[in-house]
Amino acid sequence: MADTRAAGTIYDLGYQRYDGIRFGRGHAVWKLLQYSYRCAFGLGRSPRARLAPVVVCAVAFLPAAGQIAVARLTGRTELINYGMYLQFTAFFVALFSAAQAPEIIVQDRQYGVLSLYLSRPLRGTDYAWAKLGAMVLAMLTITLTPQLMLFIAKVFLAPESPWTAFKAEYGKLLPILGGTLGTSVYMASIGLAISSVSSRRSFAQAGVIAFFLLMPAATTLFHGIATGDAKRYSVLAHPVWLLTGFMNWLFDIEAKRRSVIGRADLAPSAYLWAVLAISAFFVTVLLVRYRRSEP
Amino acid sequence: MPLLTASNLTKRYPSVVALDSLTLEVEPGIIGFVGANGAGKSTFIRVLLGLTPPTSGSASVLGLDVRTERMQVRALIGYLPENDCLPVDVSATDFVTHMGQISGLPHTVARERAAEMLRHVGLHEERYRLMGGYSTGMKQRVKLAQSLVHDPKLLLLDEPTNGLDPEGREEMLGLIERTGREFGIAVLVTSHLLGEIERVCDTLIAIDAGKLHYAGPVAAFTKQTAYLRVELDDDVPAFAQRLQSAGLEVTGSAHELRVALRDDAVYDLVRDTAAELEAPLARMEVLRHRLDELFRAPTGLSNG
Repeated sequence: MADTRAAGTIYDLGYQRYDGIRFGRGHAVWKLLQYSYRCAFGLGRSPRARLAPVVVCAVAFLPAAGQIAVARLTGRTELINYGMYLQFTAFFVALFSAAQAPEIIVQDRQYGVLSLYLSRPLRGTDYAWAKLGAMVLAMLTITLTPQLMLFIAKVFLAPESPWTAFKAEYGKLLPILGGTLGTSVYMASIGLAISSVSSRRSFAQAGVIAFFLLMPAATTLFHGIATGDAKRYSVLAHPVWLLTGFMNWLFDIEAKRRSVIGRADLAPSAYLWAVLAISAFFVTVLLVRYRRSEP
Repeated sequence: MPLLTASNLTKRYPSVVALDSLTLEVEPGIIGFVGANGAGKSTFIRVLLGLTPPTSGSASVLGLDVRTERMQVRALIGYLPENDCLPVDVSATDFVTHMGQISGLPHTVARERAAEMLRHVGLHEERYRLMGGYSTGMKQRVKLAQSLVHDPKLLLLDEPTNGLDPEGREEMLGLIERTGREFGIAVLVTSHLLGEIERVCDTLIAIDAGKLHYAGPVAAFTKQTAYLRVELDDDVPAFAQRLQSAGLEVTGSAHELRVALRDDAVYDLVRDTAAELEAPLARMEVLRHRLDELFRAPTGLSNG
């Protein structure tokens, strides 16, 4: 066919061949991740798609703004507390996962966009990894940013010099990062795995919400009637108890003796391993689901 | 190098054989791929894209094996699926740009080419609107634009005229023809309507129930399938007899005859016979057997 396009033919209406660089799978995964990240916040979408993320973001940032305002007014920076922060907002972070994980993954199937992705140099599992990365980054944005704000406020609002305050506080940076990352991966993998097996966005959203409502209820019930090790380890199945224990481990907080976590008396690192194991399970579900969409 | 090859390509699903030892070799150009609904057209495309592994046999695109060199094959292909494939709350510009990037184009190139391709398919200001509000015709155009954005070597268009009104079909076929001829991109376009795509194609592949029915130049297939409809104002029984005795295949009633179009001499023969018998010739028209008649598969689709 090339001979019909000899130079200067009147048919040439400006179609340009592209002979430049073509990036491979890595680039495709990265671009899909960026696009999905923007989609998780409704950017480049209709105003209606932005409603849920904007509300959740506002709620996630409000306690931080409040704490900073109080600390500034009273001058008491010890009122700023990161360890408890996730527990304040955990419900809304879970809600974000329930609202937005289906948004970035179910629609591609519902509207058939997945067939376009898979007709390009992108494997099914590449697609799943990109979506997971986007969701984790989106959740980190709403969990890590407020806590970094707290950290900065604590350093600069401290009565002593910022440098002294930083030296006193910087040890908390790693637990903050670890805690938000763990929480994000945990909730993102659950949200995406449940979404990956639902055909409609509304089913997926209901499924994720049901998980975060039913798991605590079922665990509490089981915890009430079980005895011995079953009772102790069932604590790990409860999202809030699990994340609280995980934060205790990270920030080296001793659980109150009479609290559920205190009475379970598990090794502190058990919560870390549980978060990792549960996340790994749901990531596997997601990957298997998308590996099947392609041989 | 042939554009496409298939060798004993078979795809068996639990309940149906979608492709039945298909063997063919096609050179670049505009290729029409016809068959009734369910004949295996979409399965063939899915096999080429590596989305479905063949049960047995092999296929290649531009010399690359569709099974072992799947990613390289996909980089060369632009695909327009039969079904909906566009998100509703994204603008056409953003979406086509995104698809270009997924195909490996750098951001600025993807933007430029997206704008260019959307202009090529005839979307202007609308391209900044969310696609949820698009008509079927506009959606088909976006689907074509996204399949072209990365400058593929081969376009796979699965029923691109589906759901379009007659005017929309004409425009889509015109676009396909321009894309194939002026851009120099090989195109494989499927349809269950032979009459529709044969005029834009150089090569035709016809399959029926997964079996290859025909693969070759369009003209030769036309000869097999076209007939001349001759209308007379009066019954002239001798007319049909004379044509038959001249060796033509004639069917139909006395004043509406169907004459098989073996070659161009048929026209002269009909004209001369009519003149000799002074038969009142009202109309001569080249028509085509319907695809389902050809395959004797009663699908109820009709096309002149």
